Amino acid sequence: MTLKLLQLRALLVLLALLAVFAALSPAFLTTGNMTILIKHVAINAILAIGMTFVILSGGIDLSVGSVAGLAGIVAGALLNKGLVLTKWGVVVYFHTWLVILIALAVGALVGAMNGWLVSRIRVAPFIATLGTLYVARGAALLLSGGATYPDLAGRQELGNTGFLQLGSGTVVGVPVPIVFMVILAGLGLAIALRTPFGRRVYAVGGNERAADLSGVRVKSVKLWVYVISGFLAALVGLMIAAQLASAHPATGETFELNAIAAVVLGGTSLSGGRGGIGGTIIGAFVIGVLADGLILLGVSEFWQIVIKGLVIVSAVVLDQLQDRQAQRAVALLRSNS
Amino acid sequence: MNDCVLEARGVSVQYPGTLALSNVTYSLRRGQIGALIGENGAGKSTLVRVLAGITQPTSGQLVCDGSPLPQSGVEMAARLGIAIIHQELNLCPNLTIEENIFLGRERTRWGLIDHREQRRVTSQLLGRLNLAVDPSLRVGDLPLGQQQLVEIAKALAGNVRVLMMDEPTSALSAHEIVTLFRIVRELAASGVAIVYISHRLEELLEIADTVTVLRDGRLVAEAPASEVDVPWIVEQMTGRSAASSQAAGEVAVTEPILTVDGLTLFHPHGRALLRDVSLQVRSGEIVGLYGLMGAGRTELLESIMGLRAAAQGSIALGGKALDKLDTSERIAAGLAMVPEDRKTAALFPGHSVLSNLTISQVGALARRGWLSPTAEQVPGQQMCERLTVKTPGLNAPIDSLSGGNQQKVVLGRCLMTAPRALLLDEPTRGVDVGAKEELHEKIRQLAKEGAGVLVASSELDEIRALAHRVVVLSRGQVSGEFAHHAASDEALACAASANGAIQEVRT
Amino acid sequence: MNYRWLGALCLLTLLASCGGGGKKSIAIITPSHDNPFFKTEAEMAGARARELGYEVTLNSHNDDAHQQDQLIDVAIANRAAAIVLDNAGADASVASIRKAKAAGVPVILIDREINVNGVAAAQIVANNYQGASLAAQEFVRLLGEKGNYIELVGRESDTNAAIRTRGFHDVLDKYDTLKPVGRQSANWSQTEAFQKIETMLQANRNIQGVIAGNDTMALGAVAALKNAGLSNVVVVGFDGSPDAIASIRAGALRATVLQPAATIARMAVDQAHKLLTTGSTGAPEKQAIDCELVVAGNADQFGVFARKESK
Repeated sequence: MTLKLLQLRALLVLLALLAVFAALSPAFLTTGNMTILIKHVAINAILAIGMTFVILSGGIDLSVGSVAGLAGIVAGALLNKGLVLTKWGVVVYFHTWLVILIALAVGALVGAMNGWLVSRIRVAPFIATLGTLYVARGAALLLSGGATYPDLAGRQELGNTGFLQLGSGTVVGVPVPIVFMVILAGLGLAIALRTPFGRRVYAVGGNERAADLSGVRVKSVKLWVYVISGFLAALVGLMIAAQLASAHPATGETFELNAIAAVVLGGTSLSGGRGGIGGTIIGAFVIGVLADGLILLGVSEFWQIVIKGLVIVSAVVLDQLQDRQAQRAVALLRSNS
Repeated sequence: MNDCVLEARGVSVQYPGTLALSNVTYSLRRGQIGALIGENGAGKSTLVRVLAGITQPTSGQLVCDGSPLPQSGVEMAARLGIAIIHQELNLCPNLTIEENIFLGRERTRWGLIDHREQRRVTSQLLGRLNLAVDPSLRVGDLPLGQQQLVEIAKALAGNVRVLMMDEPTSALSAHEIVTLFRIVRELAASGVAIVYISHRLEELLEIADTVTVLRDGRLVAEAPASEVDVPWIVEQMTGRSAASSQAAGEVAVTEPILTVDGLTLFHPHGRALLRDVSLQVRSGEIVGLYGLMGAGRTELLESIMGLRAAAQGSIALGGKALDKLDTSERIAAGLAMVPEDRKTAALFPGHSVLSNLTISQVGALARRGWLSPTAEQVPGQQMCERLTVKTPGLNAPIDSLSGGNQQKVVLGRCLMTAPRALLLDEPTRGVDVGAKEELHEKIRQLAKEGAGVLVASSELDEIRALAHRVVVLSRGQVSGEFAHHAASDEALACAASANGAIQEVRT
Repeated sequence: MNYRWLGALCLLTLLASCGGGGKKSIAIITPSHDNPFFKTEAEMAGARARELGYEVTLNSHNDDAHQQDQLIDVAIANRAAAIVLDNAGADASVASIRKAKAAGVPVILIDREINVNGVAAAQIVANNYQGASLAAQEFVRLLGEKGNYIELVGRESDTNAAIRTRGFHDVLDKYDTLKPVGRQSANWSQTEAFQKIETMLQANRNIQGVIAGNDTMALGAVAALKNAGLSNVVVVGFDGSPDAIASIRAGALRATVLQPAATIARMAVDQAHKLLTTGSTGAPEKQAIDCELVVAGNADQFGVFARKESK
């Protein structure tokens, strides 16, 4: 009940922003701009979907930005060193797919490391993922020697082309990142609301002890949310590398903050157990629309930062007020019953 | 001269739904040790909280030195020299003994903390308590008993005129109890009024001058300690003569469904929480687990559920050993538990009644990994009807239900998995009288249907109303086992407080 | 009680560091090596110092003035003979450098200036203004002196971002036929430049040029323009990074200016050596080294932040 209201509120903020920017900038509501806007939102939204699962379980994942950077570098290294691999006569088409799969696996593996630290070793999620943030970033720098892998387009004669489709390709006219976002959002929603796993994530974040006593395998649930988050972060890293046609080891710095902001704006409680994917997608759109609209209006970078901060803070303040209201309502219900 | 230091006159406290205190008049006299007795929920803690200024009475007033207090409050109480030692420790484990004792009232010189002076006072206090430890040790590094003494030292550091102690001996060793009793007597001799709360009746009779009994928020009896005995206290507490116990019927002798053998559990600091506990629960039988605060009831149930990794010994369900299984596997094998603290260990706050009910079974209710709304609602609805849960709807937030209905939902969650053995820890705590009856009826019915039930309770009433057989724990050990007809209140109370510590004090 | 131990420990550490000796050492402190520019400058300075017989410590302050201050403290405590520093902020670094000077450790600044004279032993920087003018002149030439252009600015709190944008505009603003249609900060970042160019193109696709405050942003712009099917837009960068030079060879980026980071780093160590041996650097405090224009015609002559033959 409360949940629906929270999401509605984020939606109202979104609609208000859309209205303001549409009025101020003629270019804003064009199909072209909307496509670009949603494409940019997709990057943050996909990270935020993974982040939502982690936060719902009562954790946090600070490593997503670094994992995105690492996955891009892994893909870049594999594509640029394709020469070595072609000596073994690897099949052309398969090769690009294999590169993608390996990079995604690296992301999932880093996620599994987070999950293992949090669930088995009982390291606080903030600390564990802060550690992996540095480890993954360092690994990306080591792998690339600090340099950029410049040309990910692949070469016909090596047969490893097609990677760029991941970022700049289209499916029936819709850019690939948007297609991914729509599919993953739908999948995320379904998993969160309509599968035993989703229910258990909510339970673990809502009351870990009670979940344990209810037969939920708390450790395994925690492990998997971080794996999901790492996997999606790697996907985002690949999409960015494909868009830029190059892989830079510093890619993804502060991405984790944008993802957390989207989740919080979407009404998911940082203490876990409450919220959901729907709100997160709306939250990601609020942030994306804000960035896009302010650029179109030519607002200075400094003001963009201030405005983004203000929107996040006011959303959280509203959250608190609403929580208090909800508690009062519950108290009223109880005294009447 | 009027000896009355502090008096509660006609005090009532109304909480939403319950009357916690009803027109109670209670006075504390200089130099007197008053014992306050009652079952859980009888109003002892509420009365103490009123006297300490923590809780505002709904009606009635506090009188200090013969004049009524215009308003009460924690600062006012502190100024009047009213100190309270809570059952749960109120210490910061990361700070030193000295820092804890002076927390919030640091001695300063030139605006800086005067550690030398603080340490001097602390050493004096500790010396008085026969506690030979360095004041600069961190409290978290002390054993629990010594922490309790630090808590007492903290209370003594101020100018104390009234000292209220809630179960102060629950964590103390026999030796420490002797010291504590000496201190309490010294304090009383120096004119401090003392309120002493404990479940250990023998201990109370030894230390107290007067005994005051509360039942259901009312003061039902008051007498000099020298004129009463344990059976009298039990009778006043429960409102029934100790001799009259009603019949709950016998159960047919069947195979044991749950067997616990030689269970031992150590606290991380080395103290034994459970020592060589063995018991059996038969199919269709309700076994009561009685014991005082800190006797190890909760620890025993949690060990059986696999929540205590440090537990040693063997546990079997229907002949199958559970020792290597984790909690979720034990639940799958046919165990279920209703924990003592609903809020921290059972409820998912903000989630719907339905998801609170079905969480244990979501895996089994899903078809091909998919939870359809009806797959969940049908069994959820059935369980609500079976347990007569009063709720505005299955999708209402669990927080909107009353305590009794919340407890039914928790019980329902356990029943969803059709357990063969059910562990209940204080199943009716914080539940009103009507719902309590209903819950008892459901539990009896479950046993009739063949489940083995182990009910831990600190309320004699509840034990008697439910159990076919009673196992009594004292300080982590089984101190008695009684068939229903032999489980008189007196026998149970004696077994529960019969332990090495008290006997040592007596000799 | 704990403080006493801490004090004793500090004292011990100090004593131990006094006891060192043997080879003199030079501390080289730069921003993060994840940027090849800083990596090159640190490695070049390190290599030159080892040639001259010094021990070398390489550290990065990650553009955090506080971390820089700690690194300088460490260098002082370790009795470094000199510090070669690419500082973390024109104003925020002054106190730390002054502290080193007071402790008798000379500091040679490279790449970035500070706003005070007489504190550092030398300040050797690339002439950012001259480089920006060079880039802007080439940009004007490539555009044929007319058209609409977007400017990508670096992190706006960075001195070099301000100097470069001034250098650009002192040239570009003379041409009425060149119209600035957008100006955004992309914080030196490729991803941000990519997304911001994409969005700005939605407001106006009639763009003939993009001039960027560094190569990373320029390459982000190149990728965005390529995706939008605007490959013939002129993009000019700044820095002369190996990626940029590769892109110029491939015909995507049209020009950049190369900061002679390698030369500056070697000069800094040479002057430190001279100061330690003769008591003077033999050069004025402020030295600005000119940048060089890199275009398709001469791209093959350049290596890693230096002309190939100069290496």
